[in-house]
Amino acid sequence: MKNFFNLLATAALMLSASAAEPAKPEKELPPCCQKELEPGKPLTDGSLYQLETKWTSDVGREIQLRVLRGKPQVVVMFFARCEFACPLLLHDLKQIEAALPEKLRDEVGFVLITFDTQRDTVEALHAFREAQQLSPKRWTLLRGQSDDVRELAALLGINYKQDARGQFAHSNLVTILNGDGEIAQQIRGLNNAPDKAVKVLQQLAEK
Amino acid sequence: MMANPLNIVTVLIASSLVLGAADGPVPAAMSVVPAGIHRPLFTSPDELKEVPVKSFRLDRFPVTNGEFLEFVRAHPRWQRSQVKRLFADEHYLQHWTGDLELGATTATNQPVIWVSWFAAKAFAAAQGKRLPSVAEWEYAAAAGPTRVDGENDPLFQRALRHWYATPSPESLSRVGAGLANCFGIYDLHGLLWEWTADFNTATVTGDARGDTGLERQLFCGAGSVNAKDTANFPAFMRYGFRSSLKAAYTVHNLGFRCAQDLEVKQTSASAAPAKLSSIAAATP
Repeated sequence: MKNFFNLLATAALMLSASAAEPAKPEKELPPCCQKELEPGKPLTDGSLYQLETKWTSDVGREIQLRVLRGKPQVVVMFFARCEFACPLLLHDLKQIEAALPEKLRDEVGFVLITFDTQRDTVEALHAFREAQQLSPKRWTLLRGQSDDVRELAALLGINYKQDARGQFAHSNLVTILNGDGEIAQQIRGLNNAPDKAVKVLQQLAEK
Repeated sequence: MMANPLNIVTVLIASSLVLGAADGPVPAAMSVVPAGIHRPLFTSPDELKEVPVKSFRLDRFPVTNGEFLEFVRAHPRWQRSQVKRLFADEHYLQHWTGDLELGATTATNQPVIWVSWFAAKAFAAAQGKRLPSVAEWEYAAAAGPTRVDGENDPLFQRALRHWYATPSPESLSRVGAGLANCFGIYDLHGLLWEWTADFNTATVTGDARGDTGLERQLFCGAGSVNAKDTANFPAFMRYGFRSSLKAAYTVHNLGFRCAQDLEVKQTSASAAPAKLSSIAAATP
């Protein structure tokens, strides 16, 4: 109920703001309020956060993807036992993280979602975080049901297939989501310089 | 493996009875596809050359406009004006004249087209079914009219090549107009393309008959993928077509049918005629 009133108040604010000064009230809301707004503000038609599927983090927390709302997210699908591409993909992501201007670094999230619904348990994901020293402030590691993983991959345009050894052949694709969960940019391939991603993230953060 | 000719005759008679009884085919009927082996077209050295397929149920016909209309009536979020862009592109159901109107040129017994993977998946879930996997679909579709190993039936192969070489007509025929395969399933070839649950497993893009088109940079582990049978052009076309799709795409000759695990009890509405399914199950 409280949320509902907040929402009403915000809606009223937004209306009055837009009457005076059209088309920019949203970005002036402090981060706290964006969080408050989360259940009420309608998601855009292109938002991945419309997905209602449940995911589990590497500390065992069950979430929906919409909790990632509010800041740009750099998303990669991977699996912890990957021998070839994923270490390179992760390297690319860490380079992006390192290349971000200091003030932007905490305004961006990094999300790793595993293909390996069997072996990448909560514990395995957590061990992966420790081994890779991924900051809990910025990095989210998720696992899900195989149907939901297939669906998310389809939304991101990622193809993958498991072979008899249990390895996954998969697209190498870095996706940047804006604060609303829409795909802002996708970067294909491995060993990409971080410049392009950093530029996109800077633009998103300035909005 | 020899199909028992008597079984096939019975299936054909049974299906023609079903067809003759009503106006068009019984839409919800499913056949039981017996367990078998799918041999993927492309495999890497680490992949199984033979993928076992468990026995499952498959719709005997592609989903029709009429059935899809009932679905969107019951699930308004899948109506043309309601659907979210994320889940279907702007051409979604564009051959209909409105949210709930097919229009004069679209028949209820034609296969539904211009549907995205998400819409197909939602339809299937609403019936207590699912989309077939690539392995299941390809295995069912490899069966010819008289034998499970359709690849060894030259007449069937010739007919397939003919269809795959012919562009889609402006208006698709009604479902069930062709010949059933030995499982009693219609239109797996010759009418339209179909969505599969894991269409996005292809890690080769385009018409990659050798390995020239492989996108080694984009796909982990794809560099060693090789085709088993470079003469099976229809399979290449399906493979290439699937790999060109995105889940929100809708296409003028792409529809779907549903599958179901055997363990799922069928409701009376979706149950295949008992006799028919037991016959199909008995077919080797």
